[in-house]
Amino acid sequence: MNTIEEKLWNYIDGTCTPAEQEDIARLIEQDEAYAAKYAELTALNAEFATMELDEPPMAFSYNVLEAIRYEKMLAPLKATINKKIILGIAAFFVLSIVALLAVVCSSVQVSGNSLIEISIKLPDNLKVLATTSMFNKTFMQGFFVFDVILALFLTDSYLRRKKAAKQA
Amino acid sequence: MQSKLSDIELIEQTLAGNQFAYADLVKRHQRFVFTLAMRFAKGREDAEEIAQDCFVKAYRSLASFQRQSKFSTWLYSIVYTTAMTFLRKKRVDTDSIDDEGTFVQVESQQSAFDTNNIENKSRSFYLNQAIEQLLPDDATIITLFYKGEQSLEEIAQTMGIETNTVKVKLFRARQRLKEKLERNLKHEVKELI
Repeated sequence: MNTIEEKLWNYIDGTCTPAEQEDIARLIEQDEAYAAKYAELTALNAEFATMELDEPPMAFSYNVLEAIRYEKMLAPLKATINKKIILGIAAFFVLSIVALLAVVCSSVQVSGNSLIEISIKLPDNLKVLATTSMFNKTFMQGFFVFDVILALFLTDSYLRRKKAAKQA
Repeated sequence: MQSKLSDIELIEQTLAGNQFAYADLVKRHQRFVFTLAMRFAKGREDAEEIAQDCFVKAYRSLASFQRQSKFSTWLYSIVYTTAMTFLRKKRVDTDSIDDEGTFVQVESQQSAFDTNNIENKSRSFYLNQAIEQLLPDDATIITLFYKGEQSLEEIAQTMGIETNTVKVKLFRARQRLKEKLERNLKHEVKELI
């Protein structure tokens, strides 16, 4: 059930049906309570319409366009960097795989007795590093220290980024 | 000097690569967008950030504007969403966006100050002060209805709610605004309205 005030606001806003509008108009003419409330609400309505809008800073539109320009400038730069990095990595892997396949294919020897017996020989001039002499105790310790520092650094930067994103 | 072109014409020029057309569009709507942002932010710096963010977002998705509604309605829906996101982020520091107590504190401090200066204040000052004391949703509906040239249907579209809900919310917002206004003006309200 609508209150008098609600009915009158609908009447003022013009959101009621034509039949309701007629009823309310009649009530305003005949009923003093309705007439008084109607006068109060129309005055309030006029008062509300006088509200002032806030003024943004002078450089507002300039700042908006600058932000747009900056965003536009960043977009192609990002794309170029990413494309080059991705292409570089892809080229490195493709070349490595091709080189490896070439070496393997050139050294494959298929014997006449059986097709399954395939022996692969590495080229004579290709020397495999003596890993036992390279991975000594000092090297391994250094390697682990480096890994720990790198892990701490990456965790720290990740947590900082997360904190900054939360605060933003 | 702002151009006399319509919003749609300015949008078409912007999409064709004319950034000055978008500058005109920003100038045309900046006061209202900033005011809407103020209804949520309660601080000029935050409001400026919200408003600027809205115009950048609008520029980014200008091509996806369907033109089935007014540009202003579409823009205000971006403002409303951005401002709501801003409030949600800010909620970490405050109690709740629906907590009227947050605003009552400001109100009581303002009121004490105002009793001494009441004769110096204009009618619009008291009205704007009362609007600032409303909850963001109430203040937004009142602003959209009275200053945004938005129908109830358009407000519903902006806020993502039913038209009937807007009608009820508008009624309640007006009641609350009237109460705040009366409280701020105390006995002088009858003289003023």
